[in-house]
Amino acid sequence: MYAWKCWRESRARFFFLLIMFTVTALLFTLEPGLEVQNGWWHFDRSEYIHNPLPTAHVVFSMILSVLWCSGFLSAVFLGATAPGSEIEPGTIEYLWTRPRTRTSVTWTHWAVCVAEMAIVAVVPLYLAAALLGTLTRYWDFPYLFIAPWMMVIVGLPVLGLTTLMTALRRSASGGLIYTSGVVLVYAILRQIIIVPLHLNPPTLFTGPLVWLVSNNQLPYDASAFPWGSLWRAVFLAAAFPLAAEYLLKRAEV
Amino acid sequence: MSEAAILTEGLSKSFGPQTAVSNLNLQIQPGAVYGFLGRNGAGKTTTMRMLLGLVRPTKGRMRVLGLDPWLEMELMRILQRVAFVPQRKQLYGWATPAELVRMNKAYFPRWSDEAAGGLAQRLEIPMKTAFKKLSIGNQSKVALLLALAQGAEVLILDEPTAGLDPLMVDEILRTLIEDHVSQGRTIFVSSHHLGEVEQICDWVGILEEGRLLLEARLEEVRQEYRLVIVSGENLPDAPSADVVSATTDGRFRRYVLAREADGFAAGLRSQGASILEISPIGLRELFLHLVRKEAPCTPGNAGAKAAPVSSFS
Repeated sequence: MYAWKCWRESRARFFFLLIMFTVTALLFTLEPGLEVQNGWWHFDRSEYIHNPLPTAHVVFSMILSVLWCSGFLSAVFLGATAPGSEIEPGTIEYLWTRPRTRTSVTWTHWAVCVAEMAIVAVVPLYLAAALLGTLTRYWDFPYLFIAPWMMVIVGLPVLGLTTLMTALRRSASGGLIYTSGVVLVYAILRQIIIVPLHLNPPTLFTGPLVWLVSNNQLPYDASAFPWGSLWRAVFLAAAFPLAAEYLLKRAEV
Repeated sequence: MSEAAILTEGLSKSFGPQTAVSNLNLQIQPGAVYGFLGRNGAGKTTTMRMLLGLVRPTKGRMRVLGLDPWLEMELMRILQRVAFVPQRKQLYGWATPAELVRMNKAYFPRWSDEAAGGLAQRLEIPMKTAFKKLSIGNQSKVALLLALAQGAEVLILDEPTAGLDPLMVDEILRTLIEDHVSQGRTIFVSSHHLGEVEQICDWVGILEEGRLLLEARLEEVRQEYRLVIVSGENLPDAPSADVVSATTDGRFRRYVLAREADGFAAGLRSQGASILEISPIGLRELFLHLVRKEAPCTPGNAGAKAAPVSSFS
């Protein structure tokens, strides 16, 4: 029943994100065929039929250049409904006097968010792939099919971080603001290291996504896949919610 | 004697330098209806929260239905058998009472749909309006409905009738008496409405600055407690262990006695004091005498130590 409550509380954000990313992905998919004639929009399929592979590749690159951040955005907005966000409004007294452990509450919320994040990532890209396949009659888009899962994997540490921040700040807005702050500070520090010092440290956990976005030339270089970054993402995806769970178990309200 | 429904031994809680609860000893037997009284900030809510695992005690020991609320697995077993109405009756604003009922019943195997339906009707709760759109009174009613339909063995109610009109208060009290007290369930209730406490409780505990000043059977208070008003010179503060409180009001001294008022008065008279009045004392007067700042409790007062509980009904 707590899973239902999590869904009920986050579904508005979920539908907003899903619609926004789906519309964006479909618009980018149709973009090569759209043209203005006599002041009206017309759709011409010839580009898709005559140059299927380059068109598919251009569409894929355009979609990824915008939707690469969908995992992060979903993680922050959906994660802000974590159990810690109930402390400030006072509903936590109700929640913590139900016979459910704080561990189960934390991980149920996490699981619901992961499911929502997966849908938000998969649906737009798979719909775009289906539309692209129909238009080009070419169906070999392996990277378009793995892209949403990469987005989810690199989004998980941010989901965990938001869960932790809501537990620390005891409110949804506090969690959201502090997560954004931490990400921003990390990005600025990274730029300080990269730009003046001319160093190029490996990405903490966004490597798979960077690899996916920067591999926009065929053939793809699978051997350069950043496994270290992937494992760090998996580690942080587990470590942040565990820290949040620890905090919530010790929290007094 | 059966195992206490609620037991605390030397229970204390401090928030930094501030002591919220100090060395609290309670032993509430199954079936007792215990009124927990005190001024704002006396420590009632903190005590209740400690019993439900929401606040960690600084010191001491506690048991609810024989289980320790600070062991997670035992707490889960406690929460299955205990219903709680918090002071701040805040539930999910987006949810309607009907949705809250559906959500709540999934947690409790002994949930009664019949009781929930009956209460919704009796308390006139609009079941299809979002919680955030309900009046404070209706929000309180929803919190009560969720607790009362849970089929709990112990009810912990923190100011359950705050914000309700007199008709609804009466309805709630009747429900508590008919559906819960009569079935031998334990009720631990805090309230500022002493009339309500007198109506349903058989035990009272009065807390002040985290200390239990007095614990007594309400029947005992009605039958044996007396107010003795005395006039005279150099009257003693606490001439007897039976003195619950002693206050000075101009030339007069007021003593509240737990028992043996006549013997006490005779003793004072022999010292030259004039006894102006010996009268029964109500719960309200008793409470006011105990918690008034200018009338500190004497060391000999009966509340310095928790009263024996072997006579619990």
